[in-house]
Amino acid sequence: MSLLEIEGINSYYGDSHVLFDVDMHVDEHEVVALLGRNGAGKSTTLKSVVGAVKPHNGTIRFDGNDIRGLPPYEIAQRGIQLVPEERRIFGSLNVEENLQLASLSAENAWPLERIYEYFPRLKERRRSRGTDLSGGEQQMLAIARALVRDARLILLDEPFEGLAPIIVQDLLADTRQLAEEGRTIVIVEQNVAAALSIAQRCYILNNGHVVYEGTPAELHADPQIMHEYLGV
Amino acid sequence: MILRNLATRGAGRPWVAELITLIVLFLCPLVLPLLGVGADMASRILIWGLFGLGFDILFGFTGLLSFGQAAFFGVGGFVSAFLLTQTGMTNVVLALFIGTLVAMVAGALVGFFTLRRSGIYFAMITLAFAEMFHFLELSPLSNWTGGENGLTGVPTPTLGLGSWAVELQSGWQMFGFIAVFFFIGYVIAHRIVLSPFGQVLTALRDNSPRALATGHSVRKYKLAAFVIAAGFGGIAGGLLGVLQSYMPPDALAFHTSGQLVMQSVIGGAGTLFGPLLGAGVWLGLRDSLQDFPTIAPAWKLILGVVFVVLITVFRQGLLGAVKTLFTPRRVATEPDVAELSAEVTRRHAVAGVPDAQLREDEVPDYAFHADTPHRRAKGLDITPKAADKGMPALECRNLTKRYGGLTANEGITLSIPEGQLRGIIGPNGAGKSTFFKMLAGEVAPTEGEIFLHGANITGLGVTAVSQLGMSKSYQINQLFAKLTVAQNLAIPVLARIRGEFRPDMLTSLHGVPGLHGQIEATLEMVNLLERADVPVTELAYGEKRRLEIGLALANAPNVLLLDEPLAGMSPRERADTVQLLKQIRAGRTLVVVEHDMDAMFELAEYISVLQEGRLLAEGTPEEIKGDQRVQDAYLGGMEEV
Amino acid sequence: MPSLPLFLSQLFNGLALGLLLALISAGLTVIYGTLGVLNLAHGALFMVGAYAGFVAMEHTGSFVLAMVGGMAGALIVGLLMERIIIRYFYQRPAEDQILVTFGIGIIITEAVRLGFGGISQRVAVPEWGQGITKLGFLFYPTYRIEVMVIVAVVLLLLYLILYRTRIGMIVRAGIEDSLMVNMLGINVYRVFLLVFGIGAMTAGFAGIINAPIVAVTPDMGEAILVQSFVVIVIGGVGSFPGAVVGGIIAGEIVSLTSMFNPAYSHVMLFAVMALLLAVRPQGLFGIEGRE
Repeated sequence: MSLLEIEGINSYYGDSHVLFDVDMHVDEHEVVALLGRNGAGKSTTLKSVVGAVKPHNGTIRFDGNDIRGLPPYEIAQRGIQLVPEERRIFGSLNVEENLQLASLSAENAWPLERIYEYFPRLKERRRSRGTDLSGGEQQMLAIARALVRDARLILLDEPFEGLAPIIVQDLLADTRQLAEEGRTIVIVEQNVAAALSIAQRCYILNNGHVVYEGTPAELHADPQIMHEYLGV
Repeated sequence: MILRNLATRGAGRPWVAELITLIVLFLCPLVLPLLGVGADMASRILIWGLFGLGFDILFGFTGLLSFGQAAFFGVGGFVSAFLLTQTGMTNVVLALFIGTLVAMVAGALVGFFTLRRSGIYFAMITLAFAEMFHFLELSPLSNWTGGENGLTGVPTPTLGLGSWAVELQSGWQMFGFIAVFFFIGYVIAHRIVLSPFGQVLTALRDNSPRALATGHSVRKYKLAAFVIAAGFGGIAGGLLGVLQSYMPPDALAFHTSGQLVMQSVIGGAGTLFGPLLGAGVWLGLRDSLQDFPTIAPAWKLILGVVFVVLITVFRQGLLGAVKTLFTPRRVATEPDVAELSAEVTRRHAVAGVPDAQLREDEVPDYAFHADTPHRRAKGLDITPKAADKGMPALECRNLTKRYGGLTANEGITLSIPEGQLRGIIGPNGAGKSTFFKMLAGEVAPTEGEIFLHGANITGLGVTAVSQLGMSKSYQINQLFAKLTVAQNLAIPVLARIRGEFRPDMLTSLHGVPGLHGQIEATLEMVNLLERADVPVTELAYGEKRRLEIGLALANAPNVLLLDEPLAGMSPRERADTVQLLKQIRAGRTLVVVEHDMDAMFELAEYISVLQEGRLLAEGTPEEIKGDQRVQDAYLGGMEEV
Repeated sequence: MPSLPLFLSQLFNGLALGLLLALISAGLTVIYGTLGVLNLAHGALFMVGAYAGFVAMEHTGSFVLAMVGGMAGALIVGLLMERIIIRYFYQRPAEDQILVTFGIGIIITEAVRLGFGGISQRVAVPEWGQGITKLGFLFYPTYRIEVMVIVAVVLLLLYLILYRTRIGMIVRAGIEDSLMVNMLGINVYRVFLLVFGIGAMTAGFAGIINAPIVAVTPDMGEAILVQSFVVIVIGGVGSFPGAVVGGIIAGEIVSLTSMFNPAYSHVMLFAVMALLLAVRPQGLFGIEGRE
């Protein structure tokens, strides 16, 4: 039984049909990449899992339990954490407060010191307000918020977007370390190379449909698929 | 094809409702006493109904919830009363007229401040201004207004001249006098609502930003509506003073504004008669409970409960509830058809989804066939304006947008020749949407310029850009939710024909030259002719998208910006829309942002690729496909990591 | 030119009025910032506090219990409001929210009028507040000074809760982005209820504490409501510091203007609001573009 099972969901924004009968699964300790051009429905899939978007039908099971239709806070309490595309750091709170807030409802919250070991930069900036952080620091904090909750499943939505390549390398290394430690991660990324470098399996979405499932090696071996659905 | 029900209310014969109203008013003095309704109460109900006509135009039709209408009720009332009691004026009608005018001037002044904000701010600020007027009446201006005592001794009107002059008695004669004003007020309000001006007001209520983008000056229309409502308030206030022979200071109190709002919502906003009905309920309930001393003081509590229940359950009020009972609800029909496009079949094969059965006899009339020959755009009205040969349709130079430290777009220079279908693509974070917003005039560039047919449109704003011949259709449908398909399309056409503002309040919508022709031609182009009178809420999603494109087409633009026209569509709908776009491009320049690559490569003659805010490459679809830089941009440089 | 003692005494009056307005407006603005609902029944809650305190006073004779009673009464009414009606309106358009809170305000006011009649009630100044105090050359009713101190202390308490406690942190985060708070595992709807409750309680507390100074009538909430609107427009909707600063400014405007021309004291307040709207529509502490 997979940790996360998505079966036949159809998600809408208003009456705009964005996901069409999407099937997916993620096993524990796996890193799965969700690829596709923008507008394909990758973010919507993640949002459907955490309850920010409510699919009209289908099932979403986490650890065997049905979670479709639950409010976001209940889903988060069960151990799924979304690191959203816009990061959504609380600008009026400082770094430490952002982390404290995240740890409030977590059963096995990490002590802050452990987070700071992981992200020393955040320790330096612990008293800085969210609005004063750079893009890379904000992304670090967003990921740290998921970590501090000891989330069983971390959903990363475009974590490298808009960041300089050097920062991307750093974050990639951090994410790789998380993966190596056995965290279950779903990563949505347009930066295909980065995503495939840490994923064990990937799905490709196109216009709201799942059009491919395979390993990075298999995908590399099929450039036609890559160009068709990811390139131009 | 005849377009019925173009206006929000019954088209073509407004005088029917007006005649009926006249007859009912005539019958009142005969019928109402039999129901136990006295002349005084009937007169008061009419006054509140008159007050409410203006408020309904403001709130029910334009969507502006003001809690400060008492200001104008009071201004009109006190100016008339002052003229009649403190100056030598004896002509009641003249005094009322002046009072109304002054109220309208006050409306223009207050509107200038309050209309800068919307929503809750607007509600709060109108309330505050009314209180200011209230305080002014009570204290600083008390020499003129009588302060806390008000103005007494307002004379009854005298009709006729010299020896034939008749002083009106209170009672049903006074009712008659007030009824005349109510009737005239109703006719004016009715005509306003049926006019092109009135149609634009409903567009403001439903989707103000879209109305702006279609070419209407939202600010001016709102101010006009506000002044109209002030005028109705002014005349009603003046009549109150005449009815009571006394102008009370609490005409300016918050509870007067509150009563107006409650009555209008209870009766039903957007019906013109709602406030009248609400006034009847309010005054009727208060009156009838007088006979039961134990519960008599609870009349306002009961009304409060009715009010809250109606808002929670029946937002349309009593008249709205009656209307819904009598109109059949049509269910949104989703065309349940099989796939036609070979393109789609191929895609499904790749994805592993089995072929859907192709059954041509299931296709309804109004759906496209993928391989029918291109239809020519019918209807001369739609022909776009001619432009210079050789001049690019749309051009931008060094277009840059910075938000603080973040650069969304940097130095984009591109040129789109007349008649081309240009595609804009780019990976996530490329800055496509900011770029598009700048082109449309929604966002002013930090640096750089934009030229439409050679004219510099930089920073002119969406309304001016729309009037100059460039329209945009949006990724998320921006429709006028409470109107029908044809009524939706009327809005941009009205902007094109009438310009950004025209106070043609008393003309008929059907008298606008070329309106019907233009709407019909647009309906044909987007294949919604059979759905012309269907409310937007009952359309299927694909139909709404077509209407969305139709809204951009309706004011005959030369240049059409399409933001993800295929967003949220099923494979079948995509195929249809691609055909639609191929058809509408005749004689126009189209700029399309899309993520559906198959569709993009099928449609576009030339493609510009953005990456990280800059222009990366340009070329024909083949050139772009073969361009390694573009592949790398999308695939993130596979070799690097 | 007004004399110095007069000026100082008016300054003091203004501070007294201003602090009271600040307390009421703070609740109103935080409710709006967190829940997104403009509570037009806020004035009614102020009035309920005065009446609940009055009842408690009648039964116990203790003003301290009256204060508790006032807070409790307003809290209960506020929680009922939120649970029975308002929570179903979170997704509805702003106009509907305004209308329904307005309607609820009417219901509350009329219910009180039904229960107590329209004549004004009197709440006696407590013994520890009676008399006059001398501050330098100023003679000021003791109770009013005490009210100022108490209100200032309560405002400070609210500040500490908002900026120094966990729940305050959640509320501040919720004002910014309640969906993200939701996604971090916190039940935002309970937070909404809490914020509404505290907002109602502070309004009620303001009502009872102000009661010995004014006549207690069912309509006393109306004037306060309008003034608190002006305060939050000046201070910036959704901002706690804005409500405090705006409140004090509003109080001083009214008070100092009345030194020169009492008739214009309230008019001046609205005029200042109008000016601010023209120049800086988002208010002193407001965020631009936030409606």
